[in-house]
Amino acid sequence: MAVRFDYIAKETAYNIVRNPSLSIATVLTVAVSLSLLGAAMVIREGVSGLQTRFKDDVEFIIWINNDASDEQVASVQRALDDSPVVKSSTFVNRAQTFAEFEEYFAESPEVLAAVTPEDLPTSFRVVPVNPELSVVEQLGRQFAPLPGVRQVDFAGDYIRRLNQFSSAASITMTVAALASGLASSLLMYNTIRTALFARRREVEVMRLVGATNWFIRIPFMLEGLLQGLVGAAFSAGAVLALNGVVGDAVRNADFRLFDSFALTDNQLWGITLILLAAGALIGAVGSGVAVSRYLDA
Amino acid sequence: MIKLENVTKEYKGSSIALKDASAEISKGEFVFLVGPSGSGKSTFLRLLNKQEVADSGRVLVNGKDVGGLHAWKVPLLRRQIGCVFQDFKLLPSRTVRENVSFALEVIGKPKHIIETQVPAICELVGLGEKMDKYPHQLSGGEQQRVSIARAFVNRPVILLADEPTGNLDPQTANGIMWLLDRINRSANTTVVMATHDRGIVDTMRRRVIELSHGSIVRDQSRGVYD
Repeated sequence: MAVRFDYIAKETAYNIVRNPSLSIATVLTVAVSLSLLGAAMVIREGVSGLQTRFKDDVEFIIWINNDASDEQVASVQRALDDSPVVKSSTFVNRAQTFAEFEEYFAESPEVLAAVTPEDLPTSFRVVPVNPELSVVEQLGRQFAPLPGVRQVDFAGDYIRRLNQFSSAASITMTVAALASGLASSLLMYNTIRTALFARRREVEVMRLVGATNWFIRIPFMLEGLLQGLVGAAFSAGAVLALNGVVGDAVRNADFRLFDSFALTDNQLWGITLILLAAGALIGAVGSGVAVSRYLDA
Repeated sequence: MIKLENVTKEYKGSSIALKDASAEISKGEFVFLVGPSGSGKSTFLRLLNKQEVADSGRVLVNGKDVGGLHAWKVPLLRRQIGCVFQDFKLLPSRTVRENVSFALEVIGKPKHIIETQVPAICELVGLGEKMDKYPHQLSGGEQQRVSIARAFVNRPVILLADEPTGNLDPQTANGIMWLLDRINRSANTTVVMATHDRGIVDTMRRRVIELSHGSIVRDQSRGVYD
């Protein structure tokens, strides 16, 4: 049996035009559900971006005693240079430390007035090859007993807490995305079923005159696919708007910590494509399944 | 053409619909199924195009066991069997032309066939002038003619009619019967019609199969209603 494309195109267009309210209901359902999904994805991307940033920046600081000899400092330097697990290390002298100090306490001139560069310790900033927290801590502890070393500080607890936060947030968002995906499928299915209930006589006639199940399904599925795509396009618009708002907020904030919440164009394209694919799939499959109710087993 | 061999059909939670029914209908016959409501007339018809499947016994159409037919072959069976109903089952948002074309479109017939067949069949049922009207603009008799045109446009070998005159006044009903008779005689189409219209059965004097509580109690050629 030849599938006649002009028939399918005509039927699909006809059905959408003839039943605008149900078409609109379907489109809106997809749009709302996929907007939820899109928002979850945006937040999830942001959180995982946050995680990456902290991993990149993991470092520990080896503080040098003020009375340490040049030889002691040089031996720490050698130990760092020789270590295969250290990616890079930077020596920070008193002047640089004081500059940072000034920046930190810019609002408190009385603190600044009480401190001179000579009061401050020098230090090594170390970036390990492997940013895993446990590796960093282990590595850092190796340098603590060296002569001339006052103490080793690592972002330790701070990083651990952030890691915990970001993985918890990431899991939450994945769950939220899955839940809203499921909810949108069910909503779609229900809307399509309502739409099909209104057209059960048409399906009945098709069956009785001997149309095959696939021939009956195709126009309905194509219609669902189109409605799904239109709904997904709306939700993509909502995601872009959300990202715009978040992006502005992040850029206006004083700190750069949450920069990753303003997504790149690539990330946005990825999300848009996922939403469009999800809309098309939900629409087509939902219609196909819903119409099967009225077909012979 | 049609053969029922000891067919029994029971619906869950209700009384038996067809009990050990056997009958044979040859090609080109015109058969009335008579009996009160619930006697099994509709079930008899619904078994023939596999809208229902018998619990036991065999239903043969064109020599093929309908009950054992693969799901994908059912549409092919139905293309050989036209159906007419008491409530017409027309699609209200489509014109006469579109309702009739629909039956050919959904089985993938090419456009040029549709464009010649549809006006011809509309002419045959006497609606050549009303092809662009919608069902609600037609009388009951005209609507039933559209439904007959839709059932017959693919030239089926069997036409099933379930109370086709049930909603029509006697004069209009006669017109419908004249049309069914013509389809039966001119195209040698087998017609099986369920009815409890005594007047029609008595006037037509065709074969009568009478059902009572699911059993065939009478099978008489050139019969009357009772």
